[in-house]
Amino acid sequence: MDLLSSVISLGFVAQVLRLMTPFYLGASAANFSERGGVINISVEGFMNLSAFSFAVISILTGNVFTGFILAVLVNLIFSIMFGYFTVSLKINQIVTGVGFNLFIAGLTKFLLVYIFSSSSNTPRFEGLPELSLFKNVPFFGLFLTDYITIFCFLLIFISVYILFKTKFGLRLRSAGENPAAGESLGIKIRHYRYYGIFICGFLSAVAGIWMASNQNSYSDGMIAGRGYIALAAMIIGKWKPVNIFFACLLFSAFEAFEISLQISGSDIPSQLIQMLPYFITILVLIGFIGKTKPPAADGVPY
Amino acid sequence: MNAIEFENITKKFENFIANDDITFYIRKNDVHCILGENGAGKSTLMNILFGIYKKDSGKLKVFGNEVEFSSPLDAIKNNIGMVHQHFMLIDDFTVLENVILGNEISNKYGLDFKTAEDILNKLIAKYDLGIDLSSTVSSLSIGLQQKVEILKLLYRESEILIFDEPTAVLSPVEVDLFFKIIESFKADGKTIIFITHKLNEVKYISDRVSVLRKGKLVYEADNNKNSALAISELSNAIVGDVSNIIVTENRKINKNDSPAFELNNIFLSVNNVRKLNDLCLNLFMGEIHGICGVEGNGQSELVDIVYGLQKNFTGQYVKNVSGGISIVPDDRKRKGFIKEFNIGENISLKGANFIYLPADTINKISDKIISGNDIRLSDKTAPMGNLSGGNQQKVIFARETISDNNILILVHPTRGVDINATAFIHNEILLQRNEGKAVLLISSDLDELISLSDRLSVMYKGEITRTFNRDEYSGYIRSESEVEPETDPEFLQMLGKLMTGIND
Repeated sequence: MDLLSSVISLGFVAQVLRLMTPFYLGASAANFSERGGVINISVEGFMNLSAFSFAVISILTGNVFTGFILAVLVNLIFSIMFGYFTVSLKINQIVTGVGFNLFIAGLTKFLLVYIFSSSSNTPRFEGLPELSLFKNVPFFGLFLTDYITIFCFLLIFISVYILFKTKFGLRLRSAGENPAAGESLGIKIRHYRYYGIFICGFLSAVAGIWMASNQNSYSDGMIAGRGYIALAAMIIGKWKPVNIFFACLLFSAFEAFEISLQISGSDIPSQLIQMLPYFITILVLIGFIGKTKPPAADGVPY
Repeated sequence: MNAIEFENITKKFENFIANDDITFYIRKNDVHCILGENGAGKSTLMNILFGIYKKDSGKLKVFGNEVEFSSPLDAIKNNIGMVHQHFMLIDDFTVLENVILGNEISNKYGLDFKTAEDILNKLIAKYDLGIDLSSTVSSLSIGLQQKVEILKLLYRESEILIFDEPTAVLSPVEVDLFFKIIESFKADGKTIIFITHKLNEVKYISDRVSVLRKGKLVYEADNNKNSALAISELSNAIVGDVSNIIVTENRKINKNDSPAFELNNIFLSVNNVRKLNDLCLNLFMGEIHGICGVEGNGQSELVDIVYGLQKNFTGQYVKNVSGGISIVPDDRKRKGFIKEFNIGENISLKGANFIYLPADTINKISDKIISGNDIRLSDKTAPMGNLSGGNQQKVIFARETISDNNILILVHPTRGVDINATAFIHNEILLQRNEGKAVLLISSDLDELISLSDRLSVMYKGEITRTFNRDEYSGYIRSESEVEPETDPEFLQMLGKLMTGIND
C-alpha cells in the first residue's frame, strides 16, 4: 500500500522528470551523431568519461566550474579521436564504439586506483550549485533543481530548432540520409559528420557531469547502462527530439519505480524491475510501436 | 556562341583510356545529344564537365572562358547543372528541403522556408512541373522525382543542363511531358545536353548530335530542317560493326491446347488500394505475350502473383506446365544480382546443387557464360557491380535461361542497356520462344514490345483492356534499321490512348 501511494503522487512524477535528465541528454547526444550518419554507441563510455573527469578535476582543483569545462573538453578531445577513426579512417562505427567503451572503462578504473588508491569511488565533493529559482514553486520546485535539468528541457526545443529549422540541421541530416546527394550540391559531408560527433561529445559530457554532480562523487560503473538505454530511447523515439523525450520518460519512470520499491521494502526483487527497461526495449524494437527507420546512411562510412 | 567547348580532352583510368583526345563544341541554346554505348566515354566526359573527375589534359571552355573544375561546386557556380541517371535525392526529405539543400535561404530566425517556397512555386508554375513542395520524395513516382531534380537546377539558375539518360526510367507519357519541359527550357535560351541510347528520341528532340565510341568522337551531325538525321548512319556510328547482330525473324507459333498458365478474374488490393481488377490473362507455350501499359497499372503485382510472391489475391491462377518459372526482374541492381559476387557466383546462386563449390567450378561457369553470351570484360573474377549494364543484364538473362523452366517472365529486359546488348537480348528472347518456351514480356519500350510480341495486351488500372494478335499490328512495323525497329506513329498513338484510358 505504501508502494502504491508513493507511486501515484506528484513527488513520484517529479522524480521521473528529474531522473530523465541523463537519459534525454544521452539520447540527444546519440541523435545528433546519428542524424549526421555516425552511429555512436560509445555514448555510454563518453558519459562515464565525463562523470569521471568532472569528479576528479573538481576534487583536485576544488572548483566545480573548472571541472565542468575541462570535463567537456576531455570529451571533445575523445570526440575528435572518434571522428578521426570513423569519418576520416572510415573504420566500422560499431567496432570503434565498442573499442571506446572498453578503453574508457579500463582507463577510468586505472586512474581511479592511480589517483585515489580506490577501486570503487572517488572521495565525496560538493556538486554543481543548486538552482533556487523554482524552489518555492509547487511541483516544479521538486525537479527543476539544477541548471542541467533546465537545459535538458530546453534541449527538446533547441534540438527541433537546430535539426529542422536551420541550414546546419538540414545539411547535417543530408549527411545522415544521402551523403552522395549532399556532396553533389557542394556540401562538405565529412565536416558535418564531425560536427554531429562534437555535439554528441558535448551533450554526453553534460549527461555524465549531471550523474557525478548529483551523487557528489564518481563511483566505478555508476553510468550503469544509461548510455545504452539512451540509445534505445533514441530508437524508440524514431530519431525525433520530442518522441525521444517521451521514450526517456518511460525509462526514467522505471528507474523511479525501482527506487520507490527499494524504499518501501517491498518483496518484489529489485533485479526484476531493473530488468524491465531492457525487456521493454526489446518489445519495442520487435515492432511494438511500429517500424522505426533510422537515417538512411546511418552507420555507413563516407 | 558556344556554351561548352571541349578541346583535346583526354582522361585515363590506369591503362584504360576513357576519353581519347575529344574535341567538339556545344552551341548555346541547342539541345545537344551525346550518344554511345555503355563504356563509350559519355559519362566520363560529363563527369569532367561537372567537376567530378579531373581531366588529364585538354581544355574546357564554358561560354568562351577556360575553366578548371575541381568539384561539382565549381560547375554549379558556372551555371552548369546535372541530373544524374541515379537521382541524387534524399528520400526522407520533403521536395522543398531537397531543392534548397546547399543553397539555403536564411533569415535571422533560421531557414526562410517562405521565401524559398515563393521562388520555387513560381518556377513550378512557369514550367508546369506540377510538384507539391511539401510532399516527401519517397512518396513520389520516378517521373516526379526527376522533376524535383530539374527544379534543383532551375533553383540554382543553371544555364547549361546535363541530363544523363533521363528517359530510361520514364513511361511513354512521362517522356512526352519531359520533352515538353525540355522545349520550354530551349525557348528560355537554356542549353541542354542530353545523353541517351534511344535514337527515336534523338531524332525528335536534338539540334546536334555527337557520337562517342571507345573513348573517341566518331560522328557529329546537325539535326534541323535542312539536314535531318539519318538514323541508320547514326546507329552504325554508335555500334561500329553491326554485322555480328542477327535478329531472328522466325515466327513459328505453335499454340498448345492449354496455356502454360492462366489467370482468371484476379482481384488484388494492397493497403486498401485496388491493384488488380478482374484481370484475365493467359500465356501459351511458344509465344511471346507482351504487356504494355503505363508503369503502376498493376504490372508488378501481376508478376508477383505469377511468380508466387503475392498470394493474397482472389480469383484463379492455374499453371498447366511442370517446372519452375524464370524471371528477369525489373530492377536488376536491387533484385537481379549481388553486386559483390562475380559472374559465376551469381549464376551458381540459382540452381546450383553442390555442397562443395570450389573457385575452379565457379570460374568454369563464368567462362561458359562469358563465351556463350558475347560478354566483353577484362577480368572474369571482377564483381558484377563493376560490369556495364548491358553485360549485367546478359548474365542475368543467361542465368534465367540455362534452366529448363518452361515459363520465362521478362520485366524491362533492355532498360538502360546499350544498342548492341539490346539486340543480343532481343535475339535471345526470340530464340527462347522458338525453343517452345512461354515468354511474358513486360516493358515500357513500345518498339520492343511491338517487334517481339506474338500477342500484345494493354494493361490499364489493373486489368487487360485490349489484346492484339500479331497480324493486327505487324503491318505497322517499319524497320528503318535492324538495330532500332520503328513503328508507325498511328499505331503508337492508338496504344498510347489505350494505355492512358482514353476511349474514342
